[in-house]
Amino acid sequence: MKACLKIDGALLDTIRDDLRRPHEFAHERVGFVTAGIIALATGDLTLLARDYRPVADNDYLRDTNVGAMIGPDAMRKGLQLAYGARAALLHIHTHGGRGAPDFSGVDLSEGRKFVPSFFNVVPCMPHGIVVLSDTSARGLLWLAPKMAAVPVLDFVRVGAPYARFGAARLVG
Amino acid sequence: MKRQSFLGPNSDDLLRNTIVGIVGLGGGGSHIGQQLAHAGIGNFVVVDPDTIEDHNLNRLIGGKFKFVKRGKAKVVIARDLILGIQPTARVQIERSLWQVAAESLRRCDVIVSGLDSFRARDELERFCRQNLIPYIDMGMDVTKVGDGFLVAGQVLLSSPGGPCLRCVGVVTDERLSEEAAKYGAAGGKPQVVWPNGVLASIAVGLLMQLIAPWHRKAVASAYREFDGNTHIVRESPKWKSLEGRPCPHHPANERGDPTFDIRQWLEMPVIPPKKLPFWRAMLERISAWWAQR
Repeated sequence: MKACLKIDGALLDTIRDDLRRPHEFAHERVGFVTAGIIALATGDLTLLARDYRPVADNDYLRDTNVGAMIGPDAMRKGLQLAYGARAALLHIHTHGGRGAPDFSGVDLSEGRKFVPSFFNVVPCMPHGIVVLSDTSARGLLWLAPKMAAVPVLDFVRVGAPYARFGAARLVG
Repeated sequence: MKRQSFLGPNSDDLLRNTIVGIVGLGGGGSHIGQQLAHAGIGNFVVVDPDTIEDHNLNRLIGGKFKFVKRGKAKVVIARDLILGIQPTARVQIERSLWQVAAESLRRCDVIVSGLDSFRARDELERFCRQNLIPYIDMGMDVTKVGDGFLVAGQVLLSSPGGPCLRCVGVVTDERLSEEAAKYGAAGGKPQVVWPNGVLASIAVGLLMQLIAPWHRKAVASAYREFDGNTHIVRESPKWKSLEGRPCPHHPANERGDPTFDIRQWLEMPVIPPKKLPFWRAMLERISAWWAQR
């Protein structure tokens, strides 16, 4: 099974611009993307990004051990967005730079903790985490709360230019 | 390709890996297939249920008199035309209505329509929006004006979030009702090869600037009008008022399959492809070939 995330160019630019904004004390910013799903006859899944919700400034918690720690209110707002739209929920942040980014150890361990809880609110959709760079992205998708995550290796920016990127294909 | 180097150092690979869907292989769609094959697009899904008829010969690129006698399928003509230019291209032919070929069209990076019916164009655009696929629509008409005729047409590059056929006024409730009164038939509208060629060239230009932009002002959405009497192509005056306004007809929350449920999807059995006896496999291949010819 292969997973691909398609996102319209204007939305991707908005997300990158938003995540680049400095925060008063957090070292990085976080947001949530909702997505619809298409199952292909090949057995692959395509996620189609719909909307982006940044985490509000006052929903970050002070924690010097991680780049950004967000509070329960931020999670609740993200989940509300996904619940109302019956959508997949993707936690998204950026590491900047060029080329395929990697999740940090903290990204992975925290993701394994909080993503399975998304299924309590929207059990009919897969959920995941995405990390961006300035030219590429990488993602993990959970198909069920107790299953291991599968990689999202293919990303498509729908706009001008139309670009495929990800771990396998880089642009820029 | 040496003479296309201005499209960028990776453009050959980008174009070779791009999948273009062409729905409707008549006067407009057949030009698209030919031009994109020359440009180096490597993958095609071509969809049309019809066979060539003698009245198509005034505009169907690749159409020949002998094909009319044999009742050759338009998709087969398009495939042969593309492969004649670019033998390594992968051309998937779907001799059906586009709705039947939806699964194949979902894989496309861009879909170009050469359909006549407003209803079909409206539905295909909705499909593209739901699947986040850029959609290029071409339309041409000949209207009686006074003692003469006006040849005119338009091309819309419709991208998710941007203006759609309804926003620009190509699809209206009146036109849909009028068409429905004729049981969905678009009618035998006059069509000629040269305006179709102009419109198809604009469509190909818009597609190429999406995939391999050669300047900094590539656009995700565009609406161009062609006056076939003055031979002038211009940006539609309507366009200025629409730029920057979100499309109210295709909201982002319609993206994806509304019935999808990951729990059901995970329970679906994985069916391995059936191994058929040799004679049966051969018979099926012959039947498929016969249906597609």
